[in-house]
Amino acid sequence: MSNYDSISQEISEIAKKLLKESKVDKVIGFGLGRFTKEITPIFIKKAEDADRLIFNKNCEMSLTKYLLNYKGEKVAIVAKPCDSRAINAYLSEDLIKREDLVIIGINGCPGIEGNTACEECNIRNAVICDYSVGQEMSEEEIQAEIEGFEDEIDKMNQAERLAYFQNEFERCTRCYACREACYVCNCEQCFTDSNKPKWLGESVKLNDNFTYHLMRGIHMAGRCVNCGACEMACPEGIDVRAFAAKMCSAAEEIFDYKSGMDPEQKTLLSEYKVDDSEKGFME
Amino acid sequence: MADSNEFEPKIAAFLCTWCSYAAADLAGSSRTQYPPNIRVMRVPCTGRLDPFLIIKAFNMGADGILISGCHPGDCHYLDGNLYARRRFVMLNELMQYAGVEEERLNFTWCSASEGKRFAGVVKKAVDRVKTVGPWMGFDGQGFSKKEGDLINEQL
Repeated sequence: MSNYDSISQEISEIAKKLLKESKVDKVIGFGLGRFTKEITPIFIKKAEDADRLIFNKNCEMSLTKYLLNYKGEKVAIVAKPCDSRAINAYLSEDLIKREDLVIIGINGCPGIEGNTACEECNIRNAVICDYSVGQEMSEEEIQAEIEGFEDEIDKMNQAERLAYFQNEFERCTRCYACREACYVCNCEQCFTDSNKPKWLGESVKLNDNFTYHLMRGIHMAGRCVNCGACEMACPEGIDVRAFAAKMCSAAEEIFDYKSGMDPEQKTLLSEYKVDDSEKGFME
Repeated sequence: MADSNEFEPKIAAFLCTWCSYAAADLAGSSRTQYPPNIRVMRVPCTGRLDPFLIIKAFNMGADGILISGCHPGDCHYLDGNLYARRRFVMLNELMQYAGVEEERLNFTWCSASEGKRFAGVVKKAVDRVKTVGPWMGFDGQGFSKKEGDLINEQL
């Protein structure tokens, strides 16, 4: 596993070099905010500012979504392994162009504090990058890291699971912070904003909250990279990642599919095999 | 019909127009009896079925759902049901994970000549939903009479 300080240093050096040689217009990375001294996304345009770029245990946001705001510009981005998978997914959906993009990938990601997704993460090296920082982790090291992880909800019975999620989603105020933080959620019009058809009621009721999270969950199927940004963004501390994480593990188990591993990859639900599983079908 | 105290589920049935809807038609014209608990919605193809419609059916108070399309390989649009199959497997995983009983979700295939089989499928689906009882909604509060009337109208 790499350590945060050496990663920060390497990122700054690469960014400085890229900006000096004018290979990119801007570098998107993590840095300290001007006033709050908390980690925020920062956009570096001058080589002398490149020292502001850092990487530490609080770099929780997914920067990938910013790429959609800078289409047509040459941009370099600092990508954690989960972000690199998200970039792959964007490339496969033709949302961004590879030639406009310089990816500074982090290998051997040491994880983010408070992000439960990191505890079960089995992709700890950047899957696509132009420059890599940190030390690559071997398969054995990764397995040792995630050993002993078990999905607690999967072990519950049906009634307990329903009660668990009712208890969680009761707190949901439908502020849609999970949607805003998520790299998958880039639809021009979200189903929550649609009034024809109208999928959800306006008021915050448990029935509609639950429905919202289920609908969000099925949108995640085959697209979510399990980065945990939604959970980190939730102001109520709701387990909003649970459905998406289940979709990831089910896709891997049933269809042997992992999202964002290859820029040429199709999404899970946009292709099929003739001999696909019929798990859960009536006899 | 059985006595009025017995629970009669309302099942939202999404049938593909080319196979299963024709199978339901055949069951009717050949006078095969099947339970009257299903509310049929005809869709052009199971591939057109957005999983949202199924989640929405539960949101509005359907006790269960039945989805039936052409057998894999027999789709009128060649591969619509093959896309749908993956979608339903994922949806089934999600709904069960969320705590919805698996008996409420019924997916199957029925060709246009299988009128008898269609009647059997409906019977089986109704029996499955009956074993788990009425759907109380995602909030566990049930559906009030007023909302129930709306459901009777819409489902």
